[in-house]
Amino acid sequence: MGLSDVIGHAGLSGFTEVAMILFMAAFVAVVVWTFAPRRRRELDAASRLPLDDERTGPAGPGADS
Amino acid sequence: MNQPLESFSYDDAIARKFMLATFVWGLVGMLVGLLIALQLALPSHNIPPLLTFGRLRPLHTNAVIFAFAGNAFFTGAYYSTQRLLKTRMFSGLLSSLHFWGWQLIIVLGALTLPAGFTQAKEYAELEWPIDILIAVVWVIFAVNFFGTLARRRQRHLYVAIWFYIASIVTVALLHIFNNLSVPAGWLKSYSIYAGVQDAFMQWWYGHNAVAFFLTTPFLGLMYYFMPKAAERPVFSYRLSILHFWSLIFIYIWAGPHHLHYTALPEWASTLGMIFSVMLWMPSWGGMINGLLTLRGAWHKVVEDPVLKFYVVAVTAYGMATFEGPALSVKSVNALVHYTDWIIAHVHTGALGWNGFLTFGMIYWLLPRLFQTKLYSQKLAELHFWFATFGLIFYVTAIYSAGLTQGLMWRAFDETGRLQFPDFIETTVKLIPMYWMRAVGGTLYLAGALLCGTNMLMTWRTRPKTWEVPVVQAPRLERRAEHGDADAPASAWKRFTRVSWHRRWEALPLTFTVWVVVAVGVASLFEILPTFLIRSNVPTIASVKPYTPLELAGRDLYIREGCFNCHSQMIRPLRPETERYGEYSKPGESVYDHPFLWGSRRIGPDLAREGGRFPDLWHVRHLEAPRSITPKSIMPAYAGMLTRPLGFAGIQKRVDVMAMLGVPYGDAVRDATGQARAQARTLAASIAAQGGPQGLEDKEIVAVVAYLQRLGTDLRKGAGAAAPAGTR
Repeated sequence: MGLSDVIGHAGLSGFTEVAMILFMAAFVAVVVWTFAPRRRRELDAASRLPLDDERTGPAGPGADS
Repeated sequence: MNQPLESFSYDDAIARKFMLATFVWGLVGMLVGLLIALQLALPSHNIPPLLTFGRLRPLHTNAVIFAFAGNAFFTGAYYSTQRLLKTRMFSGLLSSLHFWGWQLIIVLGALTLPAGFTQAKEYAELEWPIDILIAVVWVIFAVNFFGTLARRRQRHLYVAIWFYIASIVTVALLHIFNNLSVPAGWLKSYSIYAGVQDAFMQWWYGHNAVAFFLTTPFLGLMYYFMPKAAERPVFSYRLSILHFWSLIFIYIWAGPHHLHYTALPEWASTLGMIFSVMLWMPSWGGMINGLLTLRGAWHKVVEDPVLKFYVVAVTAYGMATFEGPALSVKSVNALVHYTDWIIAHVHTGALGWNGFLTFGMIYWLLPRLFQTKLYSQKLAELHFWFATFGLIFYVTAIYSAGLTQGLMWRAFDETGRLQFPDFIETTVKLIPMYWMRAVGGTLYLAGALLCGTNMLMTWRTRPKTWEVPVVQAPRLERRAEHGDADAPASAWKRFTRVSWHRRWEALPLTFTVWVVVAVGVASLFEILPTFLIRSNVPTIASVKPYTPLELAGRDLYIREGCFNCHSQMIRPLRPETERYGEYSKPGESVYDHPFLWGSRRIGPDLAREGGRFPDLWHVRHLEAPRSITPKSIMPAYAGMLTRPLGFAGIQKRVDVMAMLGVPYGDAVRDATGQARAQARTLAASIAAQGGPQGLEDKEIVAVVAYLQRLGTDLRKGAGAAAPAGTR
């Protein structure tokens, strides 16, 4: 009896629902912390990161600010 | 901020190198694309043995994906990573090794693919020594990248960096697992997987190559370069977080939609479909996020060619990701699979999304990397219009071709028989659209040449020596700023408060582990059942391994890239079984290392080709296809009638197959002898039918032996007769 027989007869079909709930929960968790009102200020600052790099030093001729 | 400022500079030389490589390989890839487009419109453009469609099509796809888009990703990643993390790249040596290693891989690919060395798996054609080199160079890139993360002066990792991390990690995973194979010579190997399992691995890889090589890296670029060009932050940073995690979680499951109605178990196919449809939301979230970044800046689009390129790029991303889920719905897929529609779909993505984003980025980078002004804004504008019309011509023609093809294949007349029983009727119909596609491709290529001119002229006005601006930033403090001084009391508050998330996005290692978990868990859950649950791949008693001669023929079929135009997978749909015969069973391809189901029918399916025509028919057809089917667009393989068959290598190949578990029995001892005996019999039969004499040691006998075997095992069991000689 090989590994494939063991797995084949293990009755794993109920685990699909468990997996779905776990994944759904993970998704909801991501949504909750992303949209938590407390994050607004932090995230606004983070979103400006690409525009920050010209400010940090003497700008080269390529900088466009 | 009482930390002392540290001074450093960015390494822009590496970005300049990658940018040049992007352009050069882009040109090569597009040129090969144009050539193969012309080969379909007029078969005399095939120049055997090296420059036939079957050998050049993989060269085109590899060149545009790994050479053009790959180098474009590296250009943008090297430029933006240093700036987002406020540090220089970890190691200049590793950057150089990455650059030259990657270019070496591309050159090796460009040499081996036309020479016929291929693993026969789409976008993973390169043979094993090159695969190892790819893995090594990728690790070099990863070490350099993560080293840079470790030395950063910016705590928060901007969302673009997340996309880069996910791409680097996942591509490594995909590349290694799909390319596992056993060498049978220096440039020959057999996949360790067979049939259904190989197909499953391949499309897990193939789909995610699109996801993690052409989508997530470019989304990273979008999230950096779009705000730069628009001079405002991305519309919603929250949406970009959601975009990221949903893509990572969902994309990895979608692969099986490439195998609808094939011998893949139905549960897997359904799973792939559902996850593909779910992809709609994150993809469109990302697209809307990109477009709305231009809020209040739309007037700039009028003047700025960079923004014009971005707008089309993001729109094309939206269209391609709208279309993708639609195509993965089974009933839609039944119509469009194997047709040109898929080719149009990928070109909306590749020309529109990847191409436009890359060119937009190049125009933005040119003045900055060459420290001068862009030579001509007008020329860039002209390029934009060439590319846009090229794109429209290309996709309109090929969407029409795909739909025409799909509808003609399934058309029945009032008596209930196939309306177009001769496959060639459905091919001839497409030729005008193939010409129109070539026009579109030419326009797009001409636009790229304008970009080259602009690049050259801008480079000529560069300063004598590159100025290296000194940047200053404080060293990263040890986690002090995230102290738990104000730790909220309840678990709920701790969960929703800011630093909870910042903690693990600020820890690249933890973050990377989560990405691996997301991608790995999905992959395992989807793939393992096919490997471990025996009932998923039923065996068929009458299906036997290929004889040594047939195996040699199969290798020639692979060498010539026949699978690029001919599928070997009849779907259980009435138009297909009417045209080609009994539908394909999973048990029929259990000895196929690698599987050769194909993804495209430029010519008819060959899954039940065995016994359909006499041996001599195949000889004549391969020698001069148009002597049998006047309007055929297949390249001629007359060389196979004169080139000697490599009997010497057959034993080794059979040994490797036996090692992979193919039950060869006695053949393992005398494969060459068996092959010679079968070749003599077959050559005698060809001569007896009035064909040329003395073919017993030529390549053609092996190919004919293989073609005559295809799909016949199933009949052996039932003792049924072969179907009539039509399609």
